[in-house]
Amino acid sequence: MHFFNIPSINSKFVMTLVTVLATGALLCDSAKAAKRVDAKTIAKQVDRLIDKEMNSNSVRVAPQTSDEDFLRRITFDLAGTTPSPREVTLFGLSASSSKRSKQIDKLLNSDEYATNWARYWRDVIFTRATNMRVLQVQRPFEEWMTEHLKNNSGWDEIATEIVTATGDIRDSGETALIFAQEGQASEIAAETSRIFLGIQMQCANCHDHPWDSWKRDQFHELTAFFPRIGLRPIREEMRTISYEVVSVDQESRRRKGGQLFQNPERFIRFLDRNRDGKVNKTEASRAPQLARGFDRFLQVADKNGDKALSVSEVKNAQFPMPNRPGQGSTEYFMPDLDNPTSEGTRMNPKFFVTDQKARTNMTDIERRTVLSRYLTATNNEWFAKAFVNRIWSEMLGQGFYMPIDDIGPERSADYPEVLDLLSNGFAASGFDIKWLFRTIANTDAYQREIRASDPSGATPAFASATPTRLRADQLYTAIFKVLGIDETKVRGAGGQMNYRSRRRSPRFGFNQIFGFDPSTPQEDLLGNVPQALFMMNSPGINSLIRANGRTKLAQIIQKYPDNEDAINELYLQVLAREPSSKEMQITTGYIKNVGNRGEAYEDLLWSLLNSSEFISKR
Amino acid sequence: MQLYHHQQIQVRRRGISRRSFLHGISASAVAAGTMNLRDLMSLQAAELRKQGRAMILLWMAGGPSQFETFDPKPNHNNGGPTRAIKTAVPGIEIAEGWEQTAKVMKDITLIRSMTNKEGSHPRASYQMHTGYIPSGSVKHPSLGSNIAKQLADPEFDLPSVVCVGRNSPAGAGFLGVDYEPFVVRSAGQLPENVATTVVKPRYKRRLGLLGQLEDQFAKRGGEVVVKNHKQLYGKSSKLVLSPQVKTFEFSNEKRELIDRYGDSDFGRGCLLARRLVEAGSTFVEVVSSGGNGVRNWDTHQDIFDNVATLASQVDPATATLITDLKDRGMLDKTIVVWMGEFGRTPRINPRTGRDHYPSVFNAAVAGGGTRGGQVIGASTNGGDAVAKRPVTPDDLFCSVCKSLNVNARAENISPLGRPMRIVDKGEVVDELFS
Repeated sequence: MHFFNIPSINSKFVMTLVTVLATGALLCDSAKAAKRVDAKTIAKQVDRLIDKEMNSNSVRVAPQTSDEDFLRRITFDLAGTTPSPREVTLFGLSASSSKRSKQIDKLLNSDEYATNWARYWRDVIFTRATNMRVLQVQRPFEEWMTEHLKNNSGWDEIATEIVTATGDIRDSGETALIFAQEGQASEIAAETSRIFLGIQMQCANCHDHPWDSWKRDQFHELTAFFPRIGLRPIREEMRTISYEVVSVDQESRRRKGGQLFQNPERFIRFLDRNRDGKVNKTEASRAPQLARGFDRFLQVADKNGDKALSVSEVKNAQFPMPNRPGQGSTEYFMPDLDNPTSEGTRMNPKFFVTDQKARTNMTDIERRTVLSRYLTATNNEWFAKAFVNRIWSEMLGQGFYMPIDDIGPERSADYPEVLDLLSNGFAASGFDIKWLFRTIANTDAYQREIRASDPSGATPAFASATPTRLRADQLYTAIFKVLGIDETKVRGAGGQMNYRSRRRSPRFGFNQIFGFDPSTPQEDLLGNVPQALFMMNSPGINSLIRANGRTKLAQIIQKYPDNEDAINELYLQVLAREPSSKEMQITTGYIKNVGNRGEAYEDLLWSLLNSSEFISKR
Repeated sequence: MQLYHHQQIQVRRRGISRRSFLHGISASAVAAGTMNLRDLMSLQAAELRKQGRAMILLWMAGGPSQFETFDPKPNHNNGGPTRAIKTAVPGIEIAEGWEQTAKVMKDITLIRSMTNKEGSHPRASYQMHTGYIPSGSVKHPSLGSNIAKQLADPEFDLPSVVCVGRNSPAGAGFLGVDYEPFVVRSAGQLPENVATTVVKPRYKRRLGLLGQLEDQFAKRGGEVVVKNHKQLYGKSSKLVLSPQVKTFEFSNEKRELIDRYGDSDFGRGCLLARRLVEAGSTFVEVVSSGGNGVRNWDTHQDIFDNVATLASQVDPATATLITDLKDRGMLDKTIVVWMGEFGRTPRINPRTGRDHYPSVFNAAVAGGGTRGGQVIGASTNGGDAVAKRPVTPDDLFCSVCKSLNVNARAENISPLGRPMRIVDKGEVVDELFS
């Protein structure tokens, strides 16, 4: 199925030629400061590269998709919702040759665009979190991200803010990634690499990566950018009401209780009441900081086993496990796997992609700022590639690299030259997110018709579109829209919510059932039983599809006494297209057989909502 | 590499680990070539399933105090006012409030030397469900999902993995939706959205129309999604229409037995667990998360009153569950494990509570071929350390696997292609079975 990847001298040669011809100018520029290129120009170059590849393998690509399908596809992709029947009709009637690209621009400027993609990134960051309290930062993150997307901040700027975040999680949404990983340096390092570079480093936490060249040291050098991150609970009347991401640039605790370490002679003289030159447990009780951990301290430091500490014992004490996840440690130590209680090896921050280092003894913010610079610099190709690959995959159902968060120099990509072209263009645009959406959406590759993909894998990627599963938020928005309900009027949905009431909100509940990790490949998204049960049998949905009362369905069948008209309208409402003649035949026949018009329409609407087409982007 | 990945995924999807499959099949049968791989795999799975083994986890959410449950210390300050009571086994004493459980002690093994390091609720709960500490990079499958993957019958109408009371702290992880716990919020009635909103013939009629329309989308290019969707709807509607959904309701259950389980969510949950296992489920978790004004076992204050309330729900339910399983001849093949995420501090705090304490806690095990009537390990007099025979969560998990005839070292392939054992470390606690 990856016959494009099989290296042969011929195809490689051709590919190189193609790349040079198509992108020569850009590649030359990118060595210096690359110039921004217009989205549509790059879109055309992308198509030329893909077509060339298809032609040389005699692949017949699928034709351009209909206006109806395009409108539904682009509306879900950019604005996270389904177009209204009116929008579908008007779009179809428009004779403008540039109506598709105009629609793309219009959607990119909508508020829904920002909300939709903020929710997407929320899922990227949070579906890997294991702690329920991380929900506290979800709302602030969504709001923060929405603002950035609305303003079209560069992806480099967003990444920098996330990596260097500090502050109260309630008003610093950028702390999301750090808080989701509970401030733990190694987990933050792993997620930073996965999300911003698409590279999975965490295997190297314990051993050299089994099939990549990443070494264990490199993972721990990346971790060494983050050890000084601390999470501090914010308390009000004994209750923890929030958390603050802080920098721990001094070993404050140890230093306060740590006169012992700075001047052991003086400290021991001070406590040593019986003048035997050492401090026992009773004597230690005068210094509460020491008394608290005295037994543990003895285990580590009491070499001669006399249950007391001498000056030399304190000086030679080797403290195990210096890393205190989530509490901050001034330096990071790579654990010694053969001797887990030992201190391990002190690691200095170094960025594994480019081997750039940070000076030692940098403060927390300095370290993280330096890392964010290395991360987003144009000499690190993976920053742009990971983002382009991810967005392309979300829009076309498949990335150049799969899975999208396990890429890197040792993986092979489909159409690597297309990815290079887009990534270079994206970097040259100043990591302009809307530029990338505009470019991808304007390609023929994006606008192809769906065609069943051959399970044997014989059809190459991007020769046709494939239906993909809607994310929970898109589906939730669509259900309300097609049933004609204003989402904000639903009980428990509106107003200012703290995270507890948010957990009870209907959208949150729906996401609990329908949510998935957006980094999952499409072929692994098979749905589950509670989802099907919800769509089929939930009393909420069934009360909204009644043919009487004030439902959308009641309006439609009242307004259109003729069945063909009514069915047309219902299809437009639910699936944003008109039915085929075969579908018209099936549905009119069904209505006739049932006899009861209202009942039959309820069944039809139920079937459309439960169809695989409704929960898919086509 | 890609081909390798692909094969792994294929095997993973079929729900049986290739490695464990090859263990169970003689080379000659494969060589004879009379059956294809798929047949052979289902043959072996069927063999395992015939044994009808299952697990019921009684989960004390919040971390139960060992002092107020099965390791009382009436002669030590740390023990507080909690008295010890005699049990059906001479020499074994447990805390007051557990009188019903005391009567079935012959079937129970107490482990008083559980020890662990995680002292935060989410992390410890995750570990005590999966055997792994949480990591942002991989979602580990719970032991229940792992067991179901090894033992469950894919043709079974009802869900194989069920969690009663609330969401489980860990689900199927990377094993995927087939092994995701099916959550039943309140036991004794049909779960959410299982009942149809229209009469059954009309529901079937709707399914018929849906099927016809699905075929149209398949022809337009939706072939793959339609195929998956049909499979899912087939499975879901089978559950909806199955006569076995009666299992969720107690109408054919004797009033007297329902009463013995107790008028509490936990009591009803235990009865449902027995009914599900009887019907063919492989793993059922029943969560004790309070009621009657008590939130859960996280008793930082007023511990003695709060545990008394909780015990009044859990004690009769646990004892009745064990007796009921035994009466039906199901106890030998069903292992029942009572535990929480950690224990509680020996010192009683100024608010008359106990705080988190992972270094010593206790668990109780019954059935599934375990001996019963014994205590494994001990804590020190003051209960602040393990005095003998430490048992780690991994050791307990290995023992559960042994009871169920599941190879604890069977490997799953994580999404990154890394083989991960069901239980990575630990040893079987042999005393359980001797």
